Amino acid sequence: MSVFMDLNLSYTNDKSRMQSLIETAAHLGYSTVAINYTYELTIKKSKVPVPTPIKDLMEKLPIVQGRCRPIRVLNRLTVVMSEQCHFKKTGREFSAYDLLAVQPATEKLFHAVERGIMFEVSYSAAIRDSTMRRYTIANAVSLVETCKGKNLILSSAAEKPLELRGPYDISNLGLLFGLSDGDAKEAVSSACRSVVLHGETRKTAGGIVHTMKCCSETPDQQEAPPADCEAPAAKRAKQLTE
Amino acid sequence: MRAELDQTPRSLLVSERSSFRDQKTRIRAQVEQLHFNYKVSVLLPECCSAPPHLDSIFNTFNSFYLIRNLPVYELLDKNFLETAVYQGSVYGVSYRTRIDEDNCVALTPKGHLTLSLDKDSFEILGVEGKPSRFNHRTKCRFVVSVDLTDSSMAPGGRGYQRLLTGLRSRLQLKTDFLLSHYPGGGASLQALLSRYDWSEHRPQISRHTLTDLSCPALLTSDLQSCDPHSFMEWVGAVDANVSCENSSSSFLSSLVCPEPRTTVSRALSVSVCGLLLPHDVHRLIQEIRCYLEQPHLESWVCLTVHGYADSPVSWGDNEHSVLKGGENFYSLLMFQDDTYHLHLATGAHDTCPP
Repeated sequence: MSVFMDLNLSYTNDKSRMQSLIETAAHLGYSTVAINYTYELTIKKSKVPVPTPIKDLMEKLPIVQGRCRPIRVLNRLTVVMSEQCHFKKTGREFSAYDLLAVQPATEKLFHAVERGIMFEVSYSAAIRDSTMRRYTIANAVSLVETCKGKNLILSSAAEKPLELRGPYDISNLGLLFGLSDGDAKEAVSSACRSVVLHGETRKTAGGIVHTMKCCSETPDQQEAPPADCEAPAAKRAKQLTE
Repeated sequence: MRAELDQTPRSLLVSERSSFRDQKTRIRAQVEQLHFNYKVSVLLPECCSAPPHLDSIFNTFNSFYLIRNLPVYELLDKNFLETAVYQGSVYGVSYRTRIDEDNCVALTPKGHLTLSLDKDSFEILGVEGKPSRFNHRTKCRFVVSVDLTDSSMAPGGRGYQRLLTGLRSRLQLKTDFLLSHYPGGGASLQALLSRYDWSEHRPQISRHTLTDLSCPALLTSDLQSCDPHSFMEWVGAVDANVSCENSSSSFLSSLVCPEPRTTVSRALSVSVCGLLLPHDVHRLIQEIRCYLEQPHLESWVCLTVHGYADSPVSWGDNEHSVLKGGENFYSLLMFQDDTYHLHLATGAHDTCPP
């Protein structure tokens, strides 16, 4: 298993509420959270929102309860699409975000997205309203049946700290949706980790090569700064010997 | 909706009846094998204050040490191995690390070092290990188990060097660490402690006097009135100070004392918390046996010992993990005639207790 994550904390302009959300998440035991900015693709002249730097949001990130590390905060963008539009996910305005999500508003788009990555079920709507609770459970049960419990993450979409629940509680909620014990726990841990790693590979070439711009101190340097290649921690290509 | 909603995650309860005077009794081994004990609670019925001998045992539990941010390669330090690990019994477990989230470390008294690592850390470390028994779909947790007393792990040897290099330069694993040593106490650990931020701690003792406590009746050695599960639930409720009244006006607890029941006018519950050694648990058991030899109103005492929920190993060197709960504990119900009922319990991600 990996650390617990909640990859959907709704962004508000209220800085103290955001701080409170992050503190509550750390207190509940989440090691990584993602602040979700929403962007409507179909509204003309709407610009992709620029994420607030985490440093400006909170100077010192709180320590996760029961561990000795501070909580990790990521930025996430959810693109709401209600008709087939051209969406270029490698655009510069998206590079500020660690995670990209798509919220299809029609069934047609839903099928298009289907061959994609992970599905997400948010639970805070179920906390706010009883009718939404029924819909959430019904839809989640259908989703779990279709994807057989794999490639699913559970997150809050919380707007207030009171709408957050602890990771083990959400893992139990997953049982209501039809997940097994192991799958439900993975939906708040390992599956979220896969999503975050996948998000990191968007900024790399093929998920292997990561380039970093080197700052050169002398401005009149002729040659271009070299690219720093950093292979991920684990694998090296086998040396073929003849 | 699936029908399995009424099922809870698997748990194991092993119950055993024997006598301390029986030649084949395994109680000593069973107590020894649970290396990392977090809490010991004793329930003494018809007793309002512990007798002095019993109290002195509680007060003389071994001290333990907390080292902040210890680099794990220090556990392979040649001097530490020679003065502490090879000589006596060192008990060490990482502190404030969650077994299902973080990298955890355990050092058992026989010199076994167990590292429970997540996938990235295991691949960076580059030492031989096995995938965890409790991996679900993907292999995301690995266990590296090393016998420090084995000849292949002698300082300077290849296996030793590889692990040392891995922990020192590749992975650089640092964790808060709880450490205790038997019998030498702190002297043999001083060299290691002096290099880092450390503090010595005494186990915390708390005492509660309970009045009008409902207990299962007919608690005698040859007849236990209720089944082990109900009995364990009741012991847990008493230890956690949860009411077993099940009154209609309260929705907090619907736990009840198993029938047939009796009421004890007063009882004493004593808990000791910290890194507690099996040796001290033994001394406590012997002292409780002496206490029971004298005539009392109620002829039984219940002792419960809890293991660390986030320890990489539970009994022996068996791997331990947490699914929903990381319980690994045993409850010893002792009687006047030197007989006992032993209940050993673990959660879903654990092996069968001995």
